[in-house]
Amino acid sequence: MQALKVLLTVLGMATLASNAGARTVSGQVLGQDGKPIANAVVFVQEPASLPPAATASPAIMDQFNKTFVPEMLPIAVGTQVRFPNRDQIRHHVYSFSRPKRFELPLYKGEDAPPVLFDKPGVVKIGCNIHDWMSAIILVLPNDHFAVTKEDGTFTLPSLGAGTYTITAWHSQSKDKTEDVAQHITIADQDPQLSFKLSLAPARSRPATRGARWDE
Amino acid sequence: MWWARARLRTKIFIAFSSLIIAVLLATLGFTQIVVSREAERTLDRELLTTGEVFAALLKERGARLQTNSILLASDFALKSAVATHFDPSTYEPATLASAAQSWQERIGVDLFWITDEIGTVLVASSQKDRSGEGIEDLSPLKEAIETEEPAAGIAEIDGQLFQLVAVPVFAPDAIGFLLLGEAVDDRLAGRLKGSTGTDVSFLTRERVYASSWPADRRGGAIPSQDARATLLASRTRTTSTFTAADERFQSLIVPVDSHLPQPLFALMQRSYDAALAPLRALQRRIVIIGTAGLLGALLIGVGLAGGIIAPLQGLVAGMREVLRGNLQYRSRIERHDELGFIAKSFNEMIDGLEERELIRDTFGRFVSHNVAEAVLTGRVPLQGERREVSILFQDIRGFTSLSERLDPAVLLRLLNQFFTEVVAAVEAEGGVVKQFLGDGVMALFGAPQPYADHAERAVRAALGIVDRLKGLNETLAQEGIGPLEIGVGIHSGTVVAGLIGPDNRIEYGVVGDAVNVASRVESLTREMQATILVSRDISTQLGPAFTLGCTASMPVKGKSQPVEVVEVLALCQPVDSSAPP
Repeated sequence: MQALKVLLTVLGMATLASNAGARTVSGQVLGQDGKPIANAVVFVQEPASLPPAATASPAIMDQFNKTFVPEMLPIAVGTQVRFPNRDQIRHHVYSFSRPKRFELPLYKGEDAPPVLFDKPGVVKIGCNIHDWMSAIILVLPNDHFAVTKEDGTFTLPSLGAGTYTITAWHSQSKDKTEDVAQHITIADQDPQLSFKLSLAPARSRPATRGARWDE
Repeated sequence: MWWARARLRTKIFIAFSSLIIAVLLATLGFTQIVVSREAERTLDRELLTTGEVFAALLKERGARLQTNSILLASDFALKSAVATHFDPSTYEPATLASAAQSWQERIGVDLFWITDEIGTVLVASSQKDRSGEGIEDLSPLKEAIETEEPAAGIAEIDGQLFQLVAVPVFAPDAIGFLLLGEAVDDRLAGRLKGSTGTDVSFLTRERVYASSWPADRRGGAIPSQDARATLLASRTRTTSTFTAADERFQSLIVPVDSHLPQPLFALMQRSYDAALAPLRALQRRIVIIGTAGLLGALLIGVGLAGGIIAPLQGLVAGMREVLRGNLQYRSRIERHDELGFIAKSFNEMIDGLEERELIRDTFGRFVSHNVAEAVLTGRVPLQGERREVSILFQDIRGFTSLSERLDPAVLLRLLNQFFTEVVAAVEAEGGVVKQFLGDGVMALFGAPQPYADHAERAVRAALGIVDRLKGLNETLAQEGIGPLEIGVGIHSGTVVAGLIGPDNRIEYGVVGDAVNVASRVESLTREMQATILVSRDISTQLGPAFTLGCTASMPVKGKSQPVEVVEVLALCQPVDSSAPP
């Protein structure tokens, strides 16, 4: 037990050391037509395990006016998500997705317990009694991710020197994350990355196949 | 001509039966045209209705199938069961298959398959195990996968047609697909037939998939593969008549949307012959009525002809009786129609004949038959006419002394006997005894009946009188009465002949000098002691057969010139008393 404490201390120091030369990775996600893509998620795929970028806070996916808010929620693996119901009626939140299969039978308010997402991947959330309600919880390997703004730009939390595999994901993307992944080595400057994604036409429901990202 | 010789009975029958047959044929033809046209129209209407019912049924069935499938796909238990395939560690195909069986029974479909989100079979209600088989290219599943919307269509699975619906199972996005189907089979065709009365077959050029026809009738009712090729190529959506095997059908071909490699059609058929059955029954009745009519015509022909022929035969028999001289015959037909009129006219005709016969008889007693006949037949012109005639005068010699000696009754009988002979001899030669002059007669030859040989006829009549007198004298000798001697004088010339006298005493007579001369010639017989004396005018007209005696030229009273007369002695050949008048 003592030995473990020592190891953790060493690792913590190493992390702090790397943070000392931290660099900011930023860039833009564009479509094949050159137009910026908003709401794309850019994240560090490799190495999967990175020191947390911020203190973990519980993620929340509200249900309001019979809609999941937000409709897309990126989280780091190991995050607990709460599903508060702000409607006056009950909801039955579920997911049959491979990374996390769960069910919160009809409840109201804060009655439902938080759900722990312990495997990375795309988790599609639905409501059993409202077919149109759907959302995605994107469970990422770590908390080094960013959601693009309207102009398609993103800024990742700072990364220490090293080699990384960074990729982009979008709910309508036809490209697999491996296929658009970029390998960069961070040294003494802030890298600029540009991703190009092919989007499928928007559907009333989330995309099925290409956008699936799971193990 | 056969027709001209045919009997009335036959003619009436033929006329009636021809009329009936013509009416019968016209009626049959007319009903055939009208009813078959109407039947065709009805068939067309029914077929088009069936076509619409069929399209509506398929659509309604598809819509119901789709609704049911969507409802079922929304079932959370189903979603959660389908989702189990995501986790191979907990996925139990047998459980899903068992659940699938329950769902299939719940919505009552013939085909119930579940695939994953990319079209790999998880569960299939089929004989063989299909799990793991990729059917993503099977329509309509293919469209459903591409659009994530429900898709429908008719497709062939294991050689059987199905009306299929593929719907995504959303949780909340597509986690799999339900592929549900209703069989397009004989049962469906049978149901269509049950509701519309029209036989329906589902077929392509190559194959008949289903039909409402019983198996043993399909060969005869459904067109063969070759016939189908032309039929399907040219006759879709319009009705047409075709003959398959031994039956005629009115048919409608409706294209059916399907995912088969060859176009699928629904062939709707209604038996033309069955539709015409009422017409056939009607025609049979018409023929029966027609036959009865023909029999009636036969009876009417026989009866009517009998009603006409029997009286006619009676009339014919009556005519024969009249021809034989029986003027007592009268037709006893009492009718008010044309036949009655004929019979009445016939009887009136006999009345007329009888009356004329009576008149001629009575008339003939007072005048010669020839005159009577000529007057009655109108051969004597009222205005008179000039005629070349021979006039014969005859006289009995010594009659005055004879009349003094004999009893008057004997004398009259003797005279009548004599005159009977004279008249017979004159009439035998076609002459006419014009007048009885006490003991003599005056006779005419050539009027009123004209004769070219009137002179010879007159002379032959004179010889005949002489000849007959010999026989009479022999009879008289037996009664002790001396022989009668006569003198006959004949002369010819032109006279005026006609009806003479006032209206109430009219008689036929001749006027002219020749009459006087003839009388004078007769007077000369006494002086010349001759029996028959003729004038030169006569003798020159006689043929060589006549034997003439002495000739003399004698003065006569009232004539400035003497008259040349010749005695006639005999005729070489015997007098032919049977010579035609």
